Amino acid sequence: GQPPPGGLYGQTPPGGPYGSPYGGPQPGPYGGPAPGGNAPPGVDPEAFSWFQTVDADHSGFISVKELKQALVNNNWSSFNDETCLLMINMFDKTRSGRIDVYGFSALLRFIQQWKSLFQQYDRDQSGSISFNELQQAFSQMGYNLSPQFSQLLLARYAQRSPSPSIQLDRFIHICMQLQSLTDAFREKDTALAGNVRLSYEDFLTMVVTRML
Amino acid sequence: MAFPGQPAPAGGFYQGGYGGAPGGPAFPGQAQDPLYGYFAAVGGQDGQIDADELQRCLTQSGIAGAYKPFNLETCRLMISMLDRDMSGTLGFNEFKELWFVVNGWKQHFVTFDSDGSGTVDRQELEKALINMGFRLSPQAVTAITKRYSTHGKITFDDYIACCVKLRALTECFRRRDTTQQGFVNFQYDDFIQCVMSI
Repeated sequence: GQPPPGGLYGQTPPGGPYGSPYGGPQPGPYGGPAPGGNAPPGVDPEAFSWFQTVDADHSGFISVKELKQALVNNNWSSFNDETCLLMINMFDKTRSGRIDVYGFSALLRFIQQWKSLFQQYDRDQSGSISFNELQQAFSQMGYNLSPQFSQLLLARYAQRSPSPSIQLDRFIHICMQLQSLTDAFREKDTALAGNVRLSYEDFLTMVVTRML
Repeated sequence: MAFPGQPAPAGGFYQGGYGGAPGGPAFPGQAQDPLYGYFAAVGGQDGQIDADELQRCLTQSGIAGAYKPFNLETCRLMISMLDRDMSGTLGFNEFKELWFVVNGWKQHFVTFDSDGSGTVDRQELEKALINMGFRLSPQAVTAITKRYSTHGKITFDDYIACCVKLRALTECFRRRDTTQQGFVNFQYDDFIQCVMSI
């Protein structure tokens, strides 16, 4: 039969670090310079102002812990540690485990894009994504994954409840991992057969370098 | 081919001998088992414990010893490692199995934490992993140590989280290596599902 839309592996979700498929610098809902302005060139004044607030120890860098204070879900819970770590790793150019104001500014744009997507998939505007909404999201992103997979993710990432659903932080985490692992798999699947033969060590390396 | 973790005296990876199917029928003497005491103290009517309860249970059992008790995310990971019915909870037999495995890892950690600080450094972590039988590529070791160290140190809790993940990945691979040759042919969705369920 025909390959599913987006092929075997789906399409790329929004932009990598420091890049945006949605075009240049954000237009300004942010208006003029924030109080105490003087944002570095290329850095959005509001992002700069926020950076200064979050950088509690004024080190000029934001750590995982500080980032956790800054990012919240729709239910006001802080972003979980794993997602914050993922964000830092993605935008940390210095490999120091922290991000500077440029990294933070790019991170905010990145999160905003994910937030828009999240809102789009949260059809009933409940603030979180249910099983059906997750299925839809994957399908629209071009992934051809089983309902069992969505079920699994909910069991793993959602709060225990009669109708489990996923918050923004975990949604971002899931989608980023999915993309990363898909890339890793696709790299090995040169014949585009939809399967790869892996040795135990290759498997571990592949997963560990992409997942942790 | 051999997978890492030949049965070690203090409890390695593939020991079959923890007894009973997880959540299976009570075994004679269960009520006298000291571990059952900790379990029953936190478990509800349904005889199952979730991540919160596991955290309390492990803390009370003193398994962490002088080390800081486990954080909730690590407890959740531990449950997913043994949660064969995907319920997000553990029955007593699963808990008992977990306890022995974790205790084994702890003994191992202690031998590497030579100054008793409750942390090991990157080289010690690498040695510990090799010692457990993992043959990891340099990139994998770098990724692991980067993920689990804070200021160059790995705490007991993070070490356990790391062991749980590696064990779960190994199990995932092993179950699919039907010829025991050390190779698996992964279909895309099976790969994704297997890896992201950890």
